[in-house]
Amino acid sequence: MLRNRHFWFGFIGTLLLVGLGWWAWDRFRPYAFHGTVLQSNEPAPDFTLMSANGPVSLSDFRGKIVLLYFGYTFCPDVCPTTLTELKRAMEVLGDDADQVQVIMVSVDPERDTPEKVQEYVEYFWPTFLGVTGTPDQIAEVATQYGIYYEKREVPGATGYLMDHTATVTVVDKDGYIKLIFPFGTPGEDIAADLKYLIDH
Amino acid sequence: MKRFVGLFVGMLALVALAACGSKPQGPKIVIENAWGRPSPKVATAGAFYMTIRNEGTEDDALIGADSDACGTIELHESYMKEGGAMGMRPVPGGKIVIPAGETVELKMGGLHIMCIDKQVDFQPGTKVKLILHFEKSGDIPIEVEIRNPMN
Ligand SMILES: [Cu+2]
Repeated sequence: MLRNRHFWFGFIGTLLLVGLGWWAWDRFRPYAFHGTVLQSNEPAPDFTLMSANGPVSLSDFRGKIVLLYFGYTFCPDVCPTTLTELKRAMEVLGDDADQVQVIMVSVDPERDTPEKVQEYVEYFWPTFLGVTGTPDQIAEVATQYGIYYEKREVPGATGYLMDHTATVTVVDKDGYIKLIFPFGTPGEDIAADLKYLIDH
Repeated sequence: MKRFVGLFVGMLALVALAACGSKPQGPKIVIENAWGRPSPKVATAGAFYMTIRNEGTEDDALIGADSDACGTIELHESYMKEGGAMGMRPVPGGKIVIPAGETVELKMGGLHIMCIDKQVDFQPGTKVKLILHFEKSGDIPIEVEIRNPMN
């Protein structure tokens, strides 16, 4: 009987220790981002481009997390796929979504007016912002952010298509590039990373 | 009695023969889960996705499509270029081969039926009539549901 009691004390004690260890590890381990983490010492390059409501600069959004995406409205597959994931992220963030600003920069200034880009992005989420500029301005911003895009003539009715880097760049509240989400990152993962950035 | 058995065996043979004769030769195309993403009016192009299964014994190929909902339709694929950029192009050879016994997935970020110059509003719940043209199976009319992508 006595030996039995010893056994149970030992058993329960071990369980408690394991549980405590697990809790501590889970609580204090470093957060693993889903996106690719960038440590830059330089602030993200500022830019001013045209929105439907006048000029917009990246620095206007200091204090918010800015998600930059380069796309175009004629794009029926890749861009809506990404914007749908960003919409999903906003849904998951709930009340925290107002601390996040999504900006889509059009890489097709020939066809996309500021109004057109705005109408396009708003369809996904009401606070999404669409901007464009002169071909030179777009080229400059894209280069600064390491975004490749190229106009490609195609046979058929489309005239031309744009090939473009379809990643999402995350600029943190202090204006530094923090994360890159590759094409196809699920909205839930994006939301988890953003939530961490908002809380820390 | 013997006669009945003979008749029965004869009938069995006939049934077996008929079954043999009607054994499907050639491709047999089955379309499932055809859908398109909702898009704002300002987006002049849209994309349709679906699962195409070939339950037959011969390869077939999707070579085009028509719809009153689109000015033009092209078969496209999105693909990742060197360096990670995404591009989109008409499918090589102008067709999507559906090998016998296999399933081809038209899905987001990959193969799609590109609807250029949308003629209708792609609102959730809209049904778009589409005629698919196959090399061997000919025309197959289907209905595409405009809905949000499911996770
Ligand atoms: Cu396409």
